[in-house]
Amino acid sequence: MSQLRLNRGSSIVGVGCTEFGNMLETPGIKGLCTEELAVKAAFEALDDSGLEPKDIDAFFIGGVQMSTAHMFAHYSRMCDWLGLQRKPGLHFETACSTTNTGAGLAAMAIGSGRWDNILVVGVDSILSHPVDNPPERVPQDAGELWTTTDYGADQEYAVPHGWDIAPGYGAFPTLAYAQRYGLTLAQMDEIMFNMHMTVRRQAVLEPKAFIKQDLPTLAASVGIPDPWEFWNSQYNPYAAWPTRALSCLNPCDGASAYVVTPADKAKQYTDTPIDILGFDWAAYNGLADKDPLNWDVDRLPFEGAYKMAGIAPADIDYLSVHDCMQIYQLVLAEVAGYLEKGQGYKAFLERRTGSDGDKPICTHGGKHGKGHAFGASGGSDIYEAVKQMKGAAGARQIAKQPAISVVHNAGYCMHTAVTVLGRRD
Amino acid sequence: MSGESIVRTFYAALGEGKILGTKCGECGSYSFPPKTACTECGSRDIEVVEMSGDGELQFYSSGGLPPLRFADYAPYAYGLVKLKEGPMWLTMIKGVEVVDHDKMEAFFTTLPVAVKAKIAEVAGTNIVTFEV
Ligand SMILES: [Zn+2]
Repeated sequence: MSQLRLNRGSSIVGVGCTEFGNMLETPGIKGLCTEELAVKAAFEALDDSGLEPKDIDAFFIGGVQMSTAHMFAHYSRMCDWLGLQRKPGLHFETACSTTNTGAGLAAMAIGSGRWDNILVVGVDSILSHPVDNPPERVPQDAGELWTTTDYGADQEYAVPHGWDIAPGYGAFPTLAYAQRYGLTLAQMDEIMFNMHMTVRRQAVLEPKAFIKQDLPTLAASVGIPDPWEFWNSQYNPYAAWPTRALSCLNPCDGASAYVVTPADKAKQYTDTPIDILGFDWAAYNGLADKDPLNWDVDRLPFEGAYKMAGIAPADIDYLSVHDCMQIYQLVLAEVAGYLEKGQGYKAFLERRTGSDGDKPICTHGGKHGKGHAFGASGGSDIYEAVKQMKGAAGARQIAKQPAISVVHNAGYCMHTAVTVLGRRD
Repeated sequence: MSGESIVRTFYAALGEGKILGTKCGECGSYSFPPKTACTECGSRDIEVVEMSGDGELQFYSSGGLPPLRFADYAPYAYGLVKLKEGPMWLTMIKGVEVVDHDKMEAFFTTLPVAVKAKIAEVAGTNIVTFEV
């Protein structure tokens, strides 16, 4: 049994997000420890809402990579740093969808009437790990990072059978799209190139993004004036043919947070509350479903969240999807009903998915451009959606300020969370 | 569940040349590899059965940063197989090109193609690979 209406609505009244990057070098987060990284996002969210720690009734903290954070029990490890000592708190995770799932958790906690003000925090520090003299950290080996990340995948069967995300989540949907819609792999490459031009241009417009150079600038930095030539060069090898390295995520460090309050009290804290209209989740064990372009684990939560929110795909003004492999901007925009099945590639070829386009998607640059800080990424995506809906996205503001946004995250491997956000008036 | 590990049973059977899955007593679906409930309907009414080892290769590629345990095998093919009994399975693929992308693309245009299971020892474990 499930019901679509909670007893009480809920709204996001404050958001925060750190710079996404590397704690060993990125200005803004350089030199912080994991607790301080989380606090930076959480205090920004509190400041944005005007609430103080004493006003928070309960807090939910997400974090995925315990092996690089050297942390579990995030509630106790961080409650005092956050000013939330002795308050109800928990550590939760649904891998890379963690802080998207947090919106639904907060909505249910408020909807039940048990608590009013909830702070949701996500933090992951994955490019380095602590050593014995705090707060120093040393770089994390990329192979080791993937070994422990694969603890989210089926260790009994799938991992011993060669489990590899780059072919599974990058190459196969790319090949499947080409096969189903009669496109050549050269055409797919052109689609992915143009998508990447937009991804990086958007990232440059987001000061907190990991990526600081658009593609022409990156190409020029190695003496190649033509970005298409650069795309096809040794600088962009195949991560798994026909998927190139630049079409993959950039794992990074970061934290995100948001404050959720009852919808009927939200106007006390902000002029523009962003309502949590609907959410749904699904879990699935595997990196392949029967239809590689329409996994049930994605389709079902989109449908469930739309139903709860009472919206149709045509109502969506802004879509955020989990593009840890960039092909999923295309595949999931079609699953979401935001782009027409088999036609969606045209929007990317024509570069219409940026903030100045008619079909904006992941305007912060997605999991490559903004970067992918696992448990913090869902909150980073919600941060972007809220900024866009409030007209506060700066140089990357979508001209038609979104009234309805849909945020999708896929947790490795797999948990999909979809949250529908709405602006009033 | 009895105290017997289905995972242990599966790997032991591979050593005898048998590939095990389960068949659901409620919905009739096959699940592979064998777990403790039907992967389609969730029913616990399942029986362990021997799989045919027949399938169709849907897609394959070769990862540029393979998991550490398979580094010595790189480059190798990793593909998506639809088993004759229905389940999809990702595993290593034998008998296909993994270096020449033109040849890989030419072969891609012929997919899906029939493949046959081949039990092979990889990184110290017997696993189910498929051969074109
Ligand atoms: Zn069944």
